[in-house]
Amino acid sequence: MQTELNTETIKQMKQRKWKRWNIHLFPIPALVIYGLFIVYPLLAALSYSFFDWKGIKRGAFIGFDNYKDLFTLEPFSSMFWNAFWHNVLYFIVQMVVQNGLAFLLAFIIYQKIRGAEFFKIAYFLPRLLSVIVVGFLWKLIFNPNFGALNVLLGKFGLESLQEAWLGNTKTALMAIILVNCWFGLGFSVLIFLAGFQSIPRELIEAAKLDGANGFKMLTKILLPLMVPSIMIITVLTFIQSFEAFELVYAMQGSQGEPYRSTDTLAVYFYRLAFGGSSGDSTAIGLGSALAVVLFIFISTFTAILLKMMKKKEIEM
Amino acid sequence: MKKTGKIWLFGLFSILLIFASACSKDTGSSEKPEKTDEGTKETVTLSIGSWRTEDTAGYAKVIEAFNKQYPDIKVEFKPSKNTEYNTILNTALQSGEGPDIFHLRPYAPGIALADAGYIEPLDGLEGLDAFPETALAASKGSDGKQYGVPLNMSTTQMFYNKKIFSDLGLEVPKTWDEFIALNEKIKKEGIIPIALGTKEGWLLSAAHGIIGPAHYGGNDFVEKITKGETDFKSAEFVNSIKAMDELKAYFPDNYEGLGMEDIRTLFFTGKAAMFPMGSWEIEVLRSMNPDLELGFFPMPSAVGKDATITAWVDGSFAVNANSKHKEEAKKFLQFLTTKEFGEPFTKEFKMISANPEVKSDDELVNSLSEAVSKISTPYMMVVYFAGGNPTSKATLELELQGMYLGQQTPEGVAGKVQENAETWYKPFQ
Amino acid sequence: MKHTIWTRPIYYIIAFLFASISLYPIILMILSSFKPSAEIFMSPLAFPKSFSLDTYRNLLDQIPFMTYFYNSVFVSVVSVLLILITTSLAAFYIARYTFWWNNIMFFFFLMGMMIPIKLGIVPLFLLMKDLGLTNSLWSLIMMYTAQGIPLSILILTGFFRTMPVELEEAARIDGASDLRILWNVVLPLMRPALGTVMIINFISAWNDFFFPLIFISDEMKKTIPVGMMKLFGEYSADWGALFAGLTLSSLPMIILFFIASKQFMEGLTAGAVK
Repeated sequence: MQTELNTETIKQMKQRKWKRWNIHLFPIPALVIYGLFIVYPLLAALSYSFFDWKGIKRGAFIGFDNYKDLFTLEPFSSMFWNAFWHNVLYFIVQMVVQNGLAFLLAFIIYQKIRGAEFFKIAYFLPRLLSVIVVGFLWKLIFNPNFGALNVLLGKFGLESLQEAWLGNTKTALMAIILVNCWFGLGFSVLIFLAGFQSIPRELIEAAKLDGANGFKMLTKILLPLMVPSIMIITVLTFIQSFEAFELVYAMQGSQGEPYRSTDTLAVYFYRLAFGGSSGDSTAIGLGSALAVVLFIFISTFTAILLKMMKKKEIEM
Repeated sequence: MKKTGKIWLFGLFSILLIFASACSKDTGSSEKPEKTDEGTKETVTLSIGSWRTEDTAGYAKVIEAFNKQYPDIKVEFKPSKNTEYNTILNTALQSGEGPDIFHLRPYAPGIALADAGYIEPLDGLEGLDAFPETALAASKGSDGKQYGVPLNMSTTQMFYNKKIFSDLGLEVPKTWDEFIALNEKIKKEGIIPIALGTKEGWLLSAAHGIIGPAHYGGNDFVEKITKGETDFKSAEFVNSIKAMDELKAYFPDNYEGLGMEDIRTLFFTGKAAMFPMGSWEIEVLRSMNPDLELGFFPMPSAVGKDATITAWVDGSFAVNANSKHKEEAKKFLQFLTTKEFGEPFTKEFKMISANPEVKSDDELVNSLSEAVSKISTPYMMVVYFAGGNPTSKATLELELQGMYLGQQTPEGVAGKVQENAETWYKPFQ
Repeated sequence: MKHTIWTRPIYYIIAFLFASISLYPIILMILSSFKPSAEIFMSPLAFPKSFSLDTYRNLLDQIPFMTYFYNSVFVSVVSVLLILITTSLAAFYIARYTFWWNNIMFFFFLMGMMIPIKLGIVPLFLLMKDLGLTNSLWSLIMMYTAQGIPLSILILTGFFRTMPVELEEAARIDGASDLRILWNVVLPLMRPALGTVMIINFISAWNDFFFPLIFISDEMKKTIPVGMMKLFGEYSADWGALFAGLTLSSLPMIILFFIASKQFMEGLTAGAVK
């Protein structure tokens, strides 16, 4: 047996030598497509932020003036911070409501309850709809006079809770974020469930033998093993909530109505880069600068998040 | 190992094949027109870009009329949705592409495209003299050249439900006080006086376009402000904002959550008596409720001037400077100046032609068109203040919305608009 | 994990409550599509008085629905295939080898999600023009593939890392090549993650409306969301027709999901245990 293994390893080493360069081909197709259709156009567009723009015509090179204006010139700077805090709220609410719930629901499904298939499909179904459809549908539901939500509240005798949900600065943003949670719940459930299910059964069995169950099982055994899927969801939610655009746009348009209470950074970017819906003036230079700032912010925080998670993963 | 290797190879290979075949198919199709070009008669295809998706059927008829004169020029009307139109058009223009002819937004936004060199000037285009100078101004570049052929006038005014008015024994108001008294009366009867919501900002600038002139005093004020002799902080303008604020007593419940669809529904279902809206809604209202007895009245003045109808040019057609068929495109634009176009146009679209010679067969449209020639005042925020970034018009919309939500005062609204206008409007600098 | 008799019922109550919140708006949408507008205003929550397909027939007469449908299927299927192939290779490379640049490459791929791609729309338009892809469904396929890569790599890399190395090592000792290890050992174990990647990319390709707006002007090459958007503009006041349009544009995806979900859900449950 010893000799057999030896000849085997020699053969292997020869093969590995070949494999060494062979495996470097693996990421090439993805790199090519990604590089050509994402990286190249974005790099080409980044230079926009260093130019003065007259409408959609590029003017003179002005260095970092657009960046300066973005943070010092009114109303641009207050619009920036206003939108920024909305994004922060977006992230927090999505983490707590959408992902917290999703973790719980995935855990419940993982307990092999009856109808697990049904529940999985039910949670995921909203995710199948186009964001335009979701926006439209909820706009109708939130309608203050004919919409289902207010009618439902009325049926339960809760007239005092009826609101002009999307027309009110106090409720509009929260309404949109909660719709986003409704929309994204199923995806988080699936990721968490896939996470639960890729935990080797042997580990769980072993822990059971050691007397772990219920809460202890969840926190001591499952949670650490769930770090990869929690990482995926956290990073994803972070990026998506700071890029939040489509749903806000579908429900409230590009002006962050009412009274800028639903403005997000990506909507603000869209407004600058493409103008308002009725052909209002564009500020492509400022818009590009905003996109760059947004990118730097998101990438820095994502890197920190990934580092933190990695540490956790190694610790366990 | 060999087996799986083969599967991968096969997969990659078939993808390459699909890709190659798709590419060759594309080049094949782009060759086709060249071949037909060599044929006996040269047919040219023009494409038209527009935000009027609802007019597709109407334009088919217009194009038919055009082809009677020019059978060799094929025209395709390719509209895209209103809210995304500018994104699509701007991207194409910046890339040196885009439709041969496109619908141009009126005043500042459209003129900006002309000034950036994306539009072919229309010097000496036959038929332009059919339009009054005010209509041509909507697409006149800063260099004084004409860049577009104006299509239609839009008006905003107070629509009213004739049946509700006669049931309650009401008359069209002649003064502002009468107007307020009328609102009170309607409200007491349990009917919503004015169908207006504040969820969408553009509704507010449109409503201010109707109600504002009654307080700032119509054309005299417009003349003064465009010369820089007065500004938005003046008592006249602040009063116009205050009037907007007072009227909220006559809006529907939950007005802060109502958008265009909601207020339109309130009006055509007879739940609301008046509807401050534009002429483009006439057709929609009629198709929603054919029994609706629709009327309009000019806004009575609060400062002893004439009642006013608010009017402006809503869109012009322009030729893409990068078009390969500029000559043919100009022929089409020339056709747009003629009565052969104007008549089917007003008939199909129930709109007021920018050409005053063209009459409509619709009574309501005709009486509006008459009012325009006698008592019109420009939609000031669109005609003169659609520039700046954000535009002064957008600023007014935003701040009015804030006012209705109790987060801004009328003086504050006026102040913000003035502040914005000062950043770009020459007479203020 | 059994403890008290309360746990199970509570599980069911929670699961059921959120299932109804998820489903209710969709059911409401489908039910409303059978009502005339007036009925929606009067009794928005009630069951429709009669089921008439007239609104649907009207809508279908107005648009070449089957063409849109075919285009959407073609674009989504091809881009999902491309994504699965390219990203499982790349994610395997990133997760399973320890070259110093792997983390950099991982982050490089993630960056694609961090900046609005709309920023690059003009260079993209020019690129498509140079490649001869404007007005071609391939412009969409390329965009959806490229856009799907970051998210897919994030998901797959995460899951590839969770897999015990021992399985691979065993195969390696058997003399299997890396490609074979990926295909025969890793991918079968990763079916849940692959299923998720597949579904999520299929949906985003299916539902996107921005790129077709910009790249496609030929009516016969449009996809369902763009075609439907036009309808939303035209029927803005007719709620019955609107709900029918919403249902119509969502239905193909829902049906496809139910057809595929058996496969997909089986993958989910079977995958890891193997």
